[in-house]
Amino acid sequence: MTKVDHSALRTNQAAIITLLIVAFVCNWAWLAALVMLVMAYGTLRRQPGFRAIYSEILKPRGWVKPDVLNDNPEPHVFAQGFGAVVLLGATAALYLGAPAAGWALVWLVVALAVLNLFVGFCAGCAVYYWLNRLRLPGFAKAPPAGTFPGMRPKGN
Amino acid sequence: MLSDTLIRLGIAALIIAAGLAAYWGWNRWQMRRLGRASTGALLGLETRPDNTPAVLYFRTPECVVCATAQRPALDRLKAELGSGVQVIEIDAAAQPAVADYWGVLSVPTTFIINAAGQPRAINHGLTSKDKLKQQVLSAAATPSGGEPAQVRELEAAPVHETSEA
Repeated sequence: MTKVDHSALRTNQAAIITLLIVAFVCNWAWLAALVMLVMAYGTLRRQPGFRAIYSEILKPRGWVKPDVLNDNPEPHVFAQGFGAVVLLGATAALYLGAPAAGWALVWLVVALAVLNLFVGFCAGCAVYYWLNRLRLPGFAKAPPAGTFPGMRPKGN
Repeated sequence: MLSDTLIRLGIAALIIAAGLAAYWGWNRWQMRRLGRASTGALLGLETRPDNTPAVLYFRTPECVVCATAQRPALDRLKAELGSGVQVIEIDAAAQPAVADYWGVLSVPTTFIINAAGQPRAINHGLTSKDKLKQQVLSAAATPSGGEPAQVRELEAAPVHETSEA
């Protein structure tokens, strides 16, 4: 395990939720596509897509304090990638003339991000740990000791 | 165009309201679950003196907001209410079984316990001194099962009477 700053993760989730709700209200499919691209970029860089908001704005000004926990970063990267894939499907549906399906997928991503932000349950991480239990290659990390798979560690 | 945006805004508001309702319902369910279990002393409340409302406070050593904001808020609450409230602090990382028993998902989390030892409110996240005070006074007024009782006088007392459970 390594140190994971959960404030960066929460900022990422807050940005995703805000932008996707704005995209829905304004009927801006392009904004949902942009969020998808940022999340995909973050996944490739193995960091939260909207990390810059935290590291360049919120953290230096002291508006959000670091919340560093012993955790596995891999499930969070996987969860973000999972979200990006769902948003890819949403964007495709929106541009291919199936807005109801597209926005439903957008709201699914919003709901999962809200669950993570406010309840501390990362559904994508739970899927990762489930695949780890099935011993799938590439899913090497087990949940932190004493932590329910997908739940935010309570600290070590 | 504008009406379309308004309709979408309405749908978004409805979805958010449904989410909030689900969250409220989940909290209510938690309170009922803990209330049913509170015929004896609940796990973590063994040190609570009888007939004293308490704040059960879950934190972790690595929780920055716990140390910088929630702890000072509880100190101010204790300074104002004195012996009228007990603050029971639990390290959720050191005692995960207690945290799980109470359904703690994140820190800080505070539970308001009435004089009869029954949980009356849950606060997920940072909670202000004023809100905690209002909840404690409300819990003191309803010692068991919601029947209002006379609020007793809460005299001031020294700070830092926290007990580590």
